[in-house]
Amino acid sequence: VQSGSKWATAAQHHAYFYPLLFSSESFSNLSTLPLEMSSPKLNTGFQERSGQPPGKPELIKCRSPEKETFSCWWKPVSDGGLPTNYTLFYNNEGEESFYECPDYTTAGPNSCYFDKKHTSLWTIYNITIKATNEMGSNISEPHYVDVTYIVQPNPPVNLSLALNKHTDGKLYLLMNWSSPPLADVRSGWLTLEYELRLKPEEGEEWETIFVGQRTKYKVFSLIPGEKYIAQVRCKSDHGEWSKWSSESYIHLPKEFRLKDMMVWVFVAVLSSVICLIMIWMMGLKGINMVACILPPVPGPKIKGLDAHLLEAGKNEELLSALGCQGFPPTSDCEDLLVEFLEIDDSEDQQLMPNHEKGHPNKNLKSGNKETDSDSGRGSCDSPSLLLEKCKESRIPPAEFQTPDFSETQVKAAGKSSQETQNRDPELKLPDFNSDGVKSSTWPGTQLASSQIPKGSYHNIVEVCKVAFSAMNVNVSAIRMGNEEKHPSKYSKNIETICEGEMTQRRKGESFHSKAKADQALQWLLPNEKSPFLSDKPMDYVEIHKVNQNGALAVLPKQKENSDKTEIYPIPGTTKEYAKVTRVVDNNVLVLMPESRVQGMPVFQEPPKESAQSLHQSQAEKNMSYCLTAPSEFRLQTGGLEYMDPNSFMCSFK
Amino acid sequence: RRSASLSPSVSAGSACLLLWLCLLGKPPGLGGSLCTRGDSGCPPLSVADLFDRVIQHSDRLHRLSAKKYFLPSGNELAKSARRCHTSRMLTPNGKEYAQTIPREELTYVILRLLQAWKEPLSHFDQSTVHHQDLSDDSLSKAKEISNMVHELKTGVEKVTEKMQSMGIISNSLNGMGSSEAAGLSISNEANLMSNYEFIHCFRRDSNKVQSYLKILKCRIMPGNSC
Repeated sequence: VQSGSKWATAAQHHAYFYPLLFSSESFSNLSTLPLEMSSPKLNTGFQERSGQPPGKPELIKCRSPEKETFSCWWKPVSDGGLPTNYTLFYNNEGEESFYECPDYTTAGPNSCYFDKKHTSLWTIYNITIKATNEMGSNISEPHYVDVTYIVQPNPPVNLSLALNKHTDGKLYLLMNWSSPPLADVRSGWLTLEYELRLKPEEGEEWETIFVGQRTKYKVFSLIPGEKYIAQVRCKSDHGEWSKWSSESYIHLPKEFRLKDMMVWVFVAVLSSVICLIMIWMMGLKGINMVACILPPVPGPKIKGLDAHLLEAGKNEELLSALGCQGFPPTSDCEDLLVEFLEIDDSEDQQLMPNHEKGHPNKNLKSGNKETDSDSGRGSCDSPSLLLEKCKESRIPPAEFQTPDFSETQVKAAGKSSQETQNRDPELKLPDFNSDGVKSSTWPGTQLASSQIPKGSYHNIVEVCKVAFSAMNVNVSAIRMGNEEKHPSKYSKNIETICEGEMTQRRKGESFHSKAKADQALQWLLPNEKSPFLSDKPMDYVEIHKVNQNGALAVLPKQKENSDKTEIYPIPGTTKEYAKVTRVVDNNVLVLMPESRVQGMPVFQEPPKESAQSLHQSQAEKNMSYCLTAPSEFRLQTGGLEYMDPNSFMCSFK
Repeated sequence: RRSASLSPSVSAGSACLLLWLCLLGKPPGLGGSLCTRGDSGCPPLSVADLFDRVIQHSDRLHRLSAKKYFLPSGNELAKSARRCHTSRMLTPNGKEYAQTIPREELTYVILRLLQAWKEPLSHFDQSTVHHQDLSDDSLSKAKEISNMVHELKTGVEKVTEKMQSMGIISNSLNGMGSSEAAGLSISNEANLMSNYEFIHCFRRDSNKVQSYLKILKCRIMPGNSC
C-alpha cells in the first residue's frame, strides 16, 4: 500500500504465478505497487543464495513416427547450479491460446509427447520452452513445426535373410522385412519407401540399394562362402530416413560346383585305371616290380666258373672251369697288367715297363693302395691280388679267406678289364663263393685282410696263414655241398704245407721253390704254380697279377729284397729250384718241386688248361717280362725242366 | 505474387496429359497405344486403376511443389501459414477423421481443394508481372503445375463419376456444385498471398489431396497395396 508501511508477505513454493487480490480502494495505481521478491530458498537446508537464472533452452527436434503423434526434445541448459524446471508451450496455427505440453514423460527426459488428441496435421505448431529456476527463467526461441514434414518412422523390423535357388540353379539371397509396427501402411495413411544395405563381414563399404515400397528383395551377386551383414531402413514420402534396423547375418555356403567335382572325379578314375592296367600288364609279363625298382646287387662271379659244376662235385671240371693256368700270366693277365698300369717310383717303374702299354689305371692303384702298400702298385700288380684271384678261382676255401680284398681287387680288376676291349667278361667270383662270403663272417677274413693289405702275398707264410684262417672257418658255411671232400683235402694239404712252411723262415729262394710251398700254393692255386724266384739275389717273386684263369704273373721283388735282409733259415729240406714242368697256355708256367712230382697228377688237367692259356698269351707281346722268350715257353708237357724265372722275367730294367 | 519455381517435369506433364485423355473415356489399347477421344479401342479401366493413376498424379504434383528451396522454414513458415485461402475449409486433420467421415464427403473435400487451386494457378500463367523472387523457370514450372492440377481435378471427377455409377458413393451432386462456388470465392483471396505463402499453401493442399485419395482408395478397395 502506498501509504502503508506494512508488507504483505506470501511464501510461494514452486509457483510462478501468484494472484494478488487487492481491494480497489487500496490500490489506486497498480503501477506504483512496490513488489519485492526475495531470492529463492533451497530446500536442502543450505541457505545458499548463489545461483544464476537458467540459460536459454533450445529445442533440438520434433519427430513423428507415424504421422499421428509426435514428440519434441530440447537441450537442457546450464542451470547455474540450481534445479531447473522446463515448460513447453505451444500454439496452434490460427489459435491464440497457448497450451502446455500434455506429457513430459513418455518420450523421455527433456521431452514433450503429443498424443493423437493433441496432434493436428497440416497445422503449424509454435513451440517454446521455458526454463526456470529460483533465480529466474528463460524462454527459447519459437519453433514452428508442421507434423506432416517431421515424419521419421521407426526402423523396419523382422529382417530375414534366406538363401534360395533360382530356376537356373544359381543361389540368391531373399531379403524380407516388415514395416515398423506403428506405421499404418495398410490404410494408406503412410507410404513408406525402403532402402537396403549389404556388406561382407570383413568388407568396409556398404552396398546400398533403394527398394521402393516393396518389402522384399532378391540379391544375386553374392560371393559364396562369405558371411554377409544386412540392414534396412525406411522413409515416409516427405520425411526423413529412419535409423538402420538391427543387423542380420547370413553365411553363404561354399559353392559346390558340379563341374569342378566332375573334373576331379574324372582325373581320379583315369589315374586309377591306368595304374591298374600297368599292374596287370606287369603281372602278365612276370616282371618283378621289386626287382625292377631295387635290382639285386650282383654277386661276384668268375668267368668260366660254373656253380653247378661245383655243386656237382667235380673237382677237375671245376678246376678246368676255373681256368687256372700255368704260371706265365696269360694274355688276360697281361691285360690286367696293362690295365692296372701304375706309376710308381723310379725303381718300381723299371719293374713293369710293360704296364705302360695299357692305360694306367690310377684309380685302381689308389683303390688298392691298402692292399699293396709295399709296392704301391695296382691291384693287378699286387701279388696279393694275384694270389687272391687265383685262389678265388680255384680253391673255394682259400677264396673265402680273402673275401674282402679279393672282392675289392677282383672288382677293381673287373672294372679295369672291362675298360679294355675284349677283355674277359667281368670278373666274377663264383656264386657259391660270393654267397658264402656274404653269408658268413670269417675270422680268417679279417686276418687275411689285415695281412694282405699290408704286403703282398709274396711268401708262403702269408699264404699259409690265410689258408689256415680259411680252414679254421666253418666249412659248413660254405655252400660247397659235394665239394666237402675237396675242402678237406685242400685243407689237409694246406695244413701240411703251411706247417712246414711256418716252421721255416722264408728264404728267398725257398719261397716258392720248395715243395711244400709249391704244393701249398698249388693247392691254393691249383692251376697256378707258385711264383718262384731265381737263385739270384732276387729271392722273392712277387705275384704280380692273377688273371681270372688263375695264371700268375710274377715279378721279382728287387725292392723288397732290399728291405728284407733277413734270411730265413730253412730247416729241413729245402728245395731251391722250381722246376717248370710245363707251360700252360701261353704264359702260365707250371712249377713243380722235384720231390713232389707225384703230386702232379692231381693237377694234370688244370695244368693242361694253363698250358693252353700260356700258349695263348704268347701271342701277345705285351707281357714282355713273361714272354721275352716265347720260344722257351713252348715246353713239352710232362717234361721237367729247370726254368730260370729270370729268363722270362725280363726287361724290367 | 505467384511464385512457383518448381522442378520441371515436361515428360511428367505429357504423361499426365495422356493419362487424363485416357480418363476422359478413351482408355489406351493393349501395349500402351494411344487412346484418343472417341476411340472405342481402349479398354475400360476399373476404379482401382483409376485411383492408382490419380494417386500417382497427385504424388507427382506434390513432389513438384515440395522441393527444398520452396520449403519455408521457421519464421517464413509462420508467416505464410496464416494466410492460406483454403485454411478456412474444413478438412480432416488426422487419420481418424479421414477414416470416419463418409466417403462422399471425403471425395467432396478433394474436389473442393482442387477447385480452390484451379483459379489461382491459372492466374499465375497469365501474370505478366515478374518479381525478384521469381525466375523464369519458376514461371514455367508454375504453369506446369497449373496444368497438372487441372488434370488431377478432372481425373478425380472421373473417378467420382465411376464410383457413383458403381454405387460406391451416393449421387449427391451438392458437394460438387458448391465446390465450384467455393473455389471461386476462395481464389479471390489467393491474390493476397505472397509467393512463399502461395507455395507453402499449395504444397500443403496437394499433400492433403494425396493423403485423402489414398485413404479413400483403401476405404473403398481394401487389400490392394493397402
